Amino acid sequence: MKRKELILHLIGEVSNYLLENNPKRLVISLHQEEDGLHLSVLDDNPHSDEEIENVDHALNSPKRPELAGYYGAMTGHDMLGASRLNLLGWQVKHCDVSRTRNGIKVDIWLGGDRFESDQFTIPKKDQE
Amino acid sequence: MFSFIVTGIAADGAGKAFSGFLDLQLSPARLISDFMSASSVGASFINAAAVGAIGLILILWSKVQLSGAAFAAVFTMMGFALFGKTPVNIIPIIIGVYISGRLVGRSFSEYIIIALFGTALGPLVSLITCELGLSGLSAIAVGTAAGIATGFLLPAIAVSMLHFHQGYNLYNLGLSCGFFALFAAALIRAGGHTFDTLMLWHTEESLILTLLVPVLSLVLILTGLLSGGMKSLKDLLAIQKHSGRLPSDFMDMESMEGALLNSGLIGLAGSLYILLIGGDLNGPTIGGLLTIMGFGAFGTHLKNSWPVVLGVIIATLLFGKSLTAPGAILAAIFCTTLAPLAGAFGILTGLTAGFIHLILVHQTGAWQGGMNLYNNGFAGGLTAALIVSVIAWYRSRNSDFK
Repeated sequence: MKRKELILHLIGEVSNYLLENNPKRLVISLHQEEDGLHLSVLDDNPHSDEEIENVDHALNSPKRPELAGYYGAMTGHDMLGASRLNLLGWQVKHCDVSRTRNGIKVDIWLGGDRFESDQFTIPKKDQE
Repeated sequence: MFSFIVTGIAADGAGKAFSGFLDLQLSPARLISDFMSASSVGASFINAAAVGAIGLILILWSKVQLSGAAFAAVFTMMGFALFGKTPVNIIPIIIGVYISGRLVGRSFSEYIIIALFGTALGPLVSLITCELGLSGLSAIAVGTAAGIATGFLLPAIAVSMLHFHQGYNLYNLGLSCGFFALFAAALIRAGGHTFDTLMLWHTEESLILTLLVPVLSLVLILTGLLSGGMKSLKDLLAIQKHSGRLPSDFMDMESMEGALLNSGLIGLAGSLYILLIGGDLNGPTIGGLLTIMGFGAFGTHLKNSWPVVLGVIIATLLFGKSLTAPGAILAAIFCTTLAPLAGAFGILTGLTAGFIHLILVHQTGAWQGGMNLYNNGFAGGLTAALIVSVIAWYRSRNSDFK
């Protein structure tokens, strides 16, 4: 899959989840490098601790190549029904879910073996 | 698998079971070829154990986690090896999927689910080898080449078909193989071959066949309960809340114990249904029960299944067909491929899906020449696509803006 299509599908699936609760603001920030990318999506809706835990669990599912290589094609594509963050979790390198002042921020890192997510962050001013 | 070998030897004796198994390798395998009728009960079970062993070896070799999808794949392979799959007709397809993955830089582990379920087209290999009038090595070479070519194309088709029904047909490879088989059947017909209807259906009653699935189901239930205790019951209830839409790996989403409990209950419910209506327990029906038990870890549960099954039963009775007829009984088992529609959109949608499925599945077998063993997956995929299209269209009728 071309990188552009992959990014569109990632954005689609995360946005599909966050838009289910109809936020007033949804901010999508993308930082690309040659060997990886960092996608950050923020909303302004309240989320319970349990929900955040579930999102974190789904996004950090153990890597499942047998499911990602086949069913992963539905990520951000087939939108009839509830969003399925585990589709995304099987494919990405790492995810973080954290609270912001009004809502939550979902950080997703994706890249090859050389990709180091801890040296790869969005500048603070971009998050404000 | 070991229990299948023991059952096979107990049914026929080792000599008859193993010689029958060898005969099956070069037998026609199109729908419906009950291997218990084509050869013997013992030979069918030895064949199922061999096919299941191939699946399990591939899963271990590719280092894939043995969870819901793999569990469903092995159970399905073993089930369909009672009426169509043999080691000889599935291996070329698996090789084809492997080559396809290599071409696009994918590891085999990424395509293993397609490879295992894609063996539904095994009868295509058998047809070319045994039924087209070719002989000797040329028959085997052409059949093998056709199987490899089929496997090579399956990943591309399988991924596209997922989008067609958006994950609401559990047997996606059934739709994919059916789609491919339409073209293969047309090509074979263009070459002058006529597809004769096959109907090998074992009707002899036996205690082994009656008890096999219930005993296996009880083993799964006890394993779940003993290893998980009360938590497995809690997880079982949690499983009933999932829609089952692909890919719903209940072993991952809840727990292995809960999934085993769910699989066992589905096996018992299916067996009870067949016994209540007085249906035959033979290769196809036991194969069907094993399949739905496998999918008890990957999308099927009692709550999302009953509306679809009821839809099939209503349609069967409304059109004056017998519930024990081969087509109707298989549709009632395999229609659970549409369970996610009931799980996501409710009972009425499930009933409608089951009703349409019964009507369609009686036609699709002839369309594809009986070469796709997952004929219910094919009909289910078309049914799911129809219903999903209507729901998506209806939901797009207006925006929410004031």
